[in-house]
Amino acid sequence: MSRFNLALRLLWRDSRSGELTILVMALIIAVTSATAISLFADRLQRTMTTQTADFLAADLVITSPDVQPANWITKAQALQLHAAQTADFSSVLIENDEMLLASVKAVSNAYPLRGYLKITGGDYSEEHTVHQGPPAGQAWVEKRVLSALKLKLGDALTVGEKKLIASQILTYETDKQGDFYSFSPRVMINDADLPATGIIQPGSHVHYFFQYTGEASALQAFNQWLKPQLNPSQRMLDIHKDRPELGSALNRAERYLGLSSIIVILISGVAIAMATRRYTERHFNATAILRCLGLKQRDILWLYGCQFVVLGVLASSIGCGLGWFAQQALFHLLRGLLPQHVANPGLLAVFFGFIVGMAVLLAFALPPLLRLKQVSPLRVLRRELEPLPSSAWLVYGLALGIIAVLIERYTGDAKMTATLLGVGLLTLLVLGLLVYGLLRVTGKLLPHLNLTWRFGLQGILRNSGASVSQILAFSITLVAMVLSFTVRTDLIDNWQKQLPDNAPNHFALNIFPAQQATFKQDMQALDITHSQFYPVVKGRLVEINNTPVQQVVSKDSQGESATHRELSLTFTQQLPEDNKITQGTWWQTVQAGQVSVEQKLATSLKIKLHDQLTFTVGSQQIKAEVTSLRSLDWDTMRPNFYMVFSPGTLDAYPSTLITSFYLPEAHKNVLNTLVKKYPAITILEVDVIVKQFKTILLQLTQAINYLLYFSLLAGFTVLFAAVYATLDHRIQEGAILRTLGAKRSFLTKIHLLEFGLLGFIAGVLTVIMSEAIIYSLYTQVMHIAYSPNYYLWLVIPIVGSICVALAGYSGIRYIVNKSPVSVLREL
Amino acid sequence: MHTHADLALKNIIVAESLGKAVQTSEGVLHILRSIHLCIKSGESIAIIGESGSGKSTLISLLAGLDTPSSGTIRINGHELTTMSEDGRAAMRNELIGFVFQSFQLLPSLTALENVMLPLELGGDKQAKSLATALLTRVGLAHRLSHMPRQLSGGEQQRVALARAFVTRPVILFADEPTGNLDSKTGATIIDLLFELNQENNTTLILVTHDQALAARCQRTIKLDSGSMV
Repeated sequence: MSRFNLALRLLWRDSRSGELTILVMALIIAVTSATAISLFADRLQRTMTTQTADFLAADLVITSPDVQPANWITKAQALQLHAAQTADFSSVLIENDEMLLASVKAVSNAYPLRGYLKITGGDYSEEHTVHQGPPAGQAWVEKRVLSALKLKLGDALTVGEKKLIASQILTYETDKQGDFYSFSPRVMINDADLPATGIIQPGSHVHYFFQYTGEASALQAFNQWLKPQLNPSQRMLDIHKDRPELGSALNRAERYLGLSSIIVILISGVAIAMATRRYTERHFNATAILRCLGLKQRDILWLYGCQFVVLGVLASSIGCGLGWFAQQALFHLLRGLLPQHVANPGLLAVFFGFIVGMAVLLAFALPPLLRLKQVSPLRVLRRELEPLPSSAWLVYGLALGIIAVLIERYTGDAKMTATLLGVGLLTLLVLGLLVYGLLRVTGKLLPHLNLTWRFGLQGILRNSGASVSQILAFSITLVAMVLSFTVRTDLIDNWQKQLPDNAPNHFALNIFPAQQATFKQDMQALDITHSQFYPVVKGRLVEINNTPVQQVVSKDSQGESATHRELSLTFTQQLPEDNKITQGTWWQTVQAGQVSVEQKLATSLKIKLHDQLTFTVGSQQIKAEVTSLRSLDWDTMRPNFYMVFSPGTLDAYPSTLITSFYLPEAHKNVLNTLVKKYPAITILEVDVIVKQFKTILLQLTQAINYLLYFSLLAGFTVLFAAVYATLDHRIQEGAILRTLGAKRSFLTKIHLLEFGLLGFIAGVLTVIMSEAIIYSLYTQVMHIAYSPNYYLWLVIPIVGSICVALAGYSGIRYIVNKSPVSVLREL
Repeated sequence: MHTHADLALKNIIVAESLGKAVQTSEGVLHILRSIHLCIKSGESIAIIGESGSGKSTLISLLAGLDTPSSGTIRINGHELTTMSEDGRAAMRNELIGFVFQSFQLLPSLTALENVMLPLELGGDKQAKSLATALLTRVGLAHRLSHMPRQLSGGEQQRVALARAFVTRPVILFADEPTGNLDSKTGATIIDLLFELNQENNTTLILVTHDQALAARCQRTIKLDSGSMV
């Protein structure tokens, strides 16, 4: 028999005798939760990404002013990518003596690769969702096109030189690009008709969108192949950059899901460490015999190492399986909230769960296990000989290391990792010392207490070092639960606050200055609250300090897209609502030639205070000095601007106005009144996007609720592991006390008291730690307002003492109810 | 591998000026002082003395389970005090067998597996047949697959004897082997111990309180307060 077989045999016997139950349970819970969360987060994230990808109509989009190079098509085909393309251009349509500047979009047959279009056959027809654009010979148009050109469905519509049939009203377009302020009504045609229109000539102003979907790896390969070939006028669209409102929600979602799963892993890790410690201590004797029989230190390590690796592989595999079912159940429960097609579970996410299981086992079980290596063979003669405890550096270093790696892996944010670890560690250290001091002081009370209290308290004081670790372990568990609950609630409340029910859900654009007064009056008459009216002048940033902007920006910078398109420029005397000046000062007097730049764009374009910016508006050039930088919240759904000018700078140029307003679903008919009275004004219904935003938040809330159950489950394992960790000497003490005539009720009382007291102290610590962590998280990382949670101070210590007392008692019942002789014989 | 023939009449254990002291809160406590000892191969020695006289400490030093504070020990010519812990472990596996007062069987292994263990650790392919034969020899052929907790004290000590002799050790250390047994069972175990000892020509070093048992050994060493008397 090889030593591996011996290891397996010892493992098998230990597991049959229940020796490993708690350890395996803790590990299975850790892996189940890690796998379930990894899978759940992975699927949710991929679903969210797909949903966001709907806004691009593809996974990867390149915009270009030129036609697609042939080698791109060949490469995409070689990688088995699905490809589609659209060409966007403006064209003046003339019908029935009416003129309209329309935004024409010629789409290929495969369009849209992601998302959908919505069309209707007339005012009273139902909307249809379709996954293909118009067939050749037809045009789908926004309703405004029909009213402006006095057409009805079925009439001919001439685009350039090509006569098409206006066959459907287009009500939703998945990838409507550009900012909200520059819309001219859409006419969608099939790109087979494009040559016949004769519009696209050399030098025509056309935006091509080359869209691709396919396997993630193929897309990645295509992306890498393509990126170096892009010229400055070609740009790759990224969901994180090109939809700021959705991008930030997605980032927050990823971060929070990751944070929750670390908490579950940390709790399970504590349970594993405690269970391994007990396992180790119960194996000192067997190890001493093996050492006596000639096993070397490294053989001992190999023997137990093997057992733990086998145990890890088995428990992790079971955990992966259970985790898979857990997330399936989760998705089943959430099916009403999730999109119809949720991304499939990824094998990589399962593998991640497995790796986490092995890593957590290594980090938390190795230090206590290493003590076995130190067991002296002399222990066969002198039972009191115990190996030295593992080095504290090793114990905490490994655990901290793995937690840091996981936090970094989940959040990808060094600042958050450092904050969490730093604050947590410091608090633990300070609290550890505090608890130790408190226990020492309490010890002085002992002579004055009655027998029950004395025994109860002595249980804690006997080994104050172990009690401190237990109290801290309970605290970490409770802190994790409190954090899960509180941070979740506050985060979601905060999100809800950011998007209050009356958040603007419509934009009104292209309001002519002459219409402003009457439009405002009409809105007031209709009881519609609107935001400020801002003038919009279209212009392009061309120079920074007289250097062409293209030379200043790097191709990959986030602000680079702003240099390719016309920006919506505005001017105002007052600082726009929700904007904050971060550098410089807002103009106090009317002095033309000043501009305030949005901070992130400024950073990206390396614009500093007092730089001279040159813009082109129409054929004219405007120069302005940067006198302030602003931060603003893109999530607010109010008109937001990269560039705000001081009054007098742009006043001479033709402008339209923009505002946003809130209209409840029930009052949508009011829109008709407005649209009829002001046919030239564009009303944009952004509540559709808001709805999607809220759906994502709701999905996340549900997910986080389930993550909380995992922390709860893991928390109870810690509770049991901690109780079992000290069970052996309690059993011995209980048996002796009973032999000396102690009643069962006495034993019950002293143990309930001891565990209750432990739980109470842990509860108080929990509140202190939670508040410290929440405070630093909110103020430093999440930028959410902090207020102390007074109810925690009352509830947590009580809940802590009840939970710990009950869990402790459930383990103690064994010694209380058994005859002392049978207990002593088993020792 | 050493054979008993090679070692015949040689000094198998030589201890010189052996001392063991520990630091306590009340100063240095001398557990053993200048022990000189020479044990020949095949000899049987009883170490007797009161509780706390240093008997267990002496055999723990002689068996390489502990290191002395002063003096030297040579086992079969090898200087024990300069060996590493792993070196001593290898020597234990090769030369030494143990029988303890508290049996010290691995609770999670069967009787047979307990006896096979030292052979398996030494890589012996015949482990199962040798262990079975020896368990049969000690009268436990019907208890092979029993776990230690299913055996009586006497039976457990027989398993321990079988485990000690299965590797045919050159030296057998027995620490009060009957201490946990009633007198009748104890006597049976002692008979068995001496029979096996004779069959294997093992050097026996026995720690006991029992004068009668000590008298069965060829030589008796008496310890008093850590010194030989």
